[in-house]
Amino acid sequence: MDGLLRLIRRAGSPAALLGTFLGLVGCASDAELDTLTPLGPYARSIDALSDPVFMVAGVVFVIIFGGTGYLWWRFRDDHSDEEYPEQIHGNFRLEILWTLVPTLILVVIGVFTIATLADLNSSEDNAIALSVDGESTSWEPAVVVVGQQWWWEYRYYFDGLDGVDLSDPRHLPPADIVTANQLVIPTGEEVELKITSRDVIHSYWIPALNGKRDAVPRRVTDWKIAADEPGVYFGQCTEFCGLSHSRMQMQAVALSQTDFQAWVDQQLEPVAEPTDPAAVAGMAIFETQCARCHVVNGVNGPHDDKPSKGADLIANAAPDLTHLMSRTTYAGGIFNLYEPDGSLDRTQLEAWLRNPPAEKPAVAEDRRGMPAMGLSEVEIDNVVAYLQTLGASPSIEIIAATEVE
Amino acid sequence: MSESVAELTPNGAATQPLGAYSRPKGGGGWRDWITTVDHKKIGILYGATALFFFVVGGFEALLIRLQLATPNGTVVGADLYNQIYTMHGVTMVFMVIMPLAAAFANYLLPLQIGARDVAFPRFNALSFWIFLAGGLFLNFAWLVGDAPDGGWFAYSPNTGVTFSPGHGMDFYAIGLQIAGIASLISAMNLIVTVLNMRAPGMTLFKMPVFTWMILVVQFLLLFAVPVITVALFLLVFDRNFGSHFFNPEMGADPLLWQHLFWIFGHPEVYILILPSFGIVSEVIPTFSRKPIFGYEFMVFSGIAIGFMGWGVWAHHMFVSGIGPISVGAFTLSTMFIAVPTGVKILNWMATMWGGKLRFNSAMLFATGVVSMFTVGGLSGVTHALSPADTQQTDTYYIVAHFHYVIFGGALLGFFAGFYFWWPKVFGHKLGETLGKWNFWTMLVGFNLTFGPMHILGLNGMSRRIDTYSPGFGFDFWNLFATIGVFVIALGVMFFVINVILSARRARGLPPEPPDPWDARSLEWFSPNPTPVHNFDEVIEVSSLDEFWHRKWTTDEDGRVVRKATAAEVCQAGDAEGVHLPSPSYWPIVLAAGLPLIGLGLIYNLWICVPGTLLVLVSTYAWVFEPPDDPDGPFGHGHGHDEGDDGSHDEDVPGDGSPAGQEAGSVE
Repeated sequence: MDGLLRLIRRAGSPAALLGTFLGLVGCASDAELDTLTPLGPYARSIDALSDPVFMVAGVVFVIIFGGTGYLWWRFRDDHSDEEYPEQIHGNFRLEILWTLVPTLILVVIGVFTIATLADLNSSEDNAIALSVDGESTSWEPAVVVVGQQWWWEYRYYFDGLDGVDLSDPRHLPPADIVTANQLVIPTGEEVELKITSRDVIHSYWIPALNGKRDAVPRRVTDWKIAADEPGVYFGQCTEFCGLSHSRMQMQAVALSQTDFQAWVDQQLEPVAEPTDPAAVAGMAIFETQCARCHVVNGVNGPHDDKPSKGADLIANAAPDLTHLMSRTTYAGGIFNLYEPDGSLDRTQLEAWLRNPPAEKPAVAEDRRGMPAMGLSEVEIDNVVAYLQTLGASPSIEIIAATEVE
Repeated sequence: MSESVAELTPNGAATQPLGAYSRPKGGGGWRDWITTVDHKKIGILYGATALFFFVVGGFEALLIRLQLATPNGTVVGADLYNQIYTMHGVTMVFMVIMPLAAAFANYLLPLQIGARDVAFPRFNALSFWIFLAGGLFLNFAWLVGDAPDGGWFAYSPNTGVTFSPGHGMDFYAIGLQIAGIASLISAMNLIVTVLNMRAPGMTLFKMPVFTWMILVVQFLLLFAVPVITVALFLLVFDRNFGSHFFNPEMGADPLLWQHLFWIFGHPEVYILILPSFGIVSEVIPTFSRKPIFGYEFMVFSGIAIGFMGWGVWAHHMFVSGIGPISVGAFTLSTMFIAVPTGVKILNWMATMWGGKLRFNSAMLFATGVVSMFTVGGLSGVTHALSPADTQQTDTYYIVAHFHYVIFGGALLGFFAGFYFWWPKVFGHKLGETLGKWNFWTMLVGFNLTFGPMHILGLNGMSRRIDTYSPGFGFDFWNLFATIGVFVIALGVMFFVINVILSARRARGLPPEPPDPWDARSLEWFSPNPTPVHNFDEVIEVSSLDEFWHRKWTTDEDGRVVRKATAAEVCQAGDAEGVHLPSPSYWPIVLAAGLPLIGLGLIYNLWICVPGTLLVLVSTYAWVFEPPDDPDGPFGHGHGHDEGDDGSHDEDVPGDGSPAGQEAGSVE
């Protein structure tokens, strides 16, 4: 029904006219990336701007299309006589009229557009009370978003971003929380995004919450998102960024104030030492094989303390796995970590560890994307056992909301 | 050049052709084609080559659609998909639409201004062969299995050698530079031709709208192509010689490439569309049996688009982080470029108003442009709204938009041109029945393919993704679009069949009598197909639509009455001994050197040596080849006789004056 309503609304869009009547056949049950279903204030103000314009465009289209059709029918040559029609060379007044009328329409649209533009580029001073490591603090929600072939990193600095030097995305200052692919935000708050990239240009886009903004290497672009309700919102990298561009996806998870505080507490907790023998063996493999690129706090230090980190432009940086299990997705947001019932999707995770480039195209020789580590089946089991010790799983609601199919 | 050669000869008098190398004697067959400097043959060569690349780009489109027909498609892998979509875009823009415009411009522009040829016939041949060399060079990348994969706008730093270590982007950067040389030469040639070689009496504002639009396009090319050339040149240096123009790690501005590309890229959009607007402005009046409505508005709106097209490039960069003030400024400039475009649409409709519309295939295609381009124009306005564009850009909504502009606007216009001018070029009409099948299948297929892409884009489907997961609601419309593309392919097949069948049907029959459409402009003064010398005698022009006014007049009641039949007005095309520029070997030889230099830059600099030698030798030979050949089949009519100061430059038929003058001396 939702899909149908969307299609009816979209009928205002001229171009979709043809599609609309056929649309009944094809309404989508799920449309997580839909731009016409805004679920936050910024996406909504974009929608409020474009909806009337779709309507105006629809009217103009009907006039032109219908007009052409009318002309076809009304003035077709019936060959009743060979007479020439009256030779009209133009009409100055008429032409001035149809130069001015569109101009005026566009002036009106222009005024609203500039107003919306100003609105989207402003930022308010909002702050939420947060307890970080037991100390109460006031945090203005802001997250550093770093694009990299082909995943997203998020960095939270609870002391604010003043004085945080973001100019070199490969040597970013240590952050309070570093996570990947799934951006966690407090519901109902404006969250500033400081977007940059470690390699090529990417684009950060959560359509339900706002439009997109490019992640440009060595530049920081400002953007913001906000969600009305708690939930999981889907996104896709939208600037072509090389081989696995289509598999560079992301999600924003909006949590209630309380849940957000709980999430922060959880992320700040140190990871427990594994005790299970398989997990202990897995940790050893992690330290020798995975730790060159991945970080687990307490095992190979915060991301930035390791000297080799970021030494190469295109390698040696991979998602921070400290609280992997608290996320529901991995590998650039393309796989679900959990089954809908909340259990681990072991088959997919094992396949990923067995041969990542087969699961997600990578340029293995340049270490762009995760290379195959040549792990044996036993080693894979051990690594999975170790990974399961990293963080606590999220709520079943979030796991369910991550399911697209 | 040849002027100074003539003066330097010991004999002084230019009684015989001078020069170190004799010119080709013609001799028929393929030799005629590779040595020709005749603007008509070059036009046909451009058209045939463009249609060949159209088939290549079309196959790439089919592969794209097959891959996307179902979620998790496995027809091609990510790597190959990225190459295919990149090459589809590059091919369709640079190797199909631009050369199709060049085909029509080359063939028709001299005819529409009553000239014997373009100003520099050998340059004209050179620009075609260089274009062909560029196109083949670019597609050679497929043969070495390493095609460009960075998208047609090739954003840095993804196209730098770090992220694109193969040779694909080298083929892109060098291939487009080669093709760019062709565009530049052609632009200068046609500008000089229009400005200097119009028939007596044809002031600028008596030129047909098509000629006007081509003129505007040549100025756009003249100023836009150097910008992309600079960008590509720098990219070649970055990739091959270790420079860092586009490497942010060395302090380069990562947006520099985008600015350079789009300062070229947006005028390029008008380079693609204005020729089609010109064609539509010829076809609609003819088959509405009315003059174009508001000729001045049509011309000035074209010029306005040409100027405003330079001030809107950053609307391609609304989400790149260029800052709200820039975004605001480009938002407004982009909105207002819609005004002159809208004027054109309404003037075409007003031309049809009160007419007697004859819906043959050419007219169907032209009216198809009016409605389909409108869709593209309106969706264009919706993403001029920069906040809305942050949702729309880089999604299938944009893909839909520019296909409505380039396919629905430009390509359908060229098909109108095919049906309209086919008898002029080949002496017979294309079949009407197949023509209508051609039109309706293409129109329906086009809308089936690209219409749903609006929905896909607004549903959030990104462009340039090689696959998508089920569950995002993309499945149905993607399958739909894939079915649509095969309907387009069917439409193209109808066209091909039509070309073959109508040629076969016309075999042995006399050519189409003059003026098959009751047309309006000068090209129809000459018989069908156009004789090699174009016109027997000078056409004195006294009004816009001169040809029509020779046939028709108005009586005292204002009714249109016949003044003369077309047969009386048209020329016989049987003038003899008309002096024409002689063919030349050197354009094709010179052009052959350029891809060799390109291969040298990619693989081994030593390969540049033979390439450079070819260019140098053929330039030298070009300069020192005789003005023309007295024994050649192209006549030597009035020759180098009385008063001829030896400046009988073969590159300027008619001695730089309206070509008709020379024809006049034949009478």
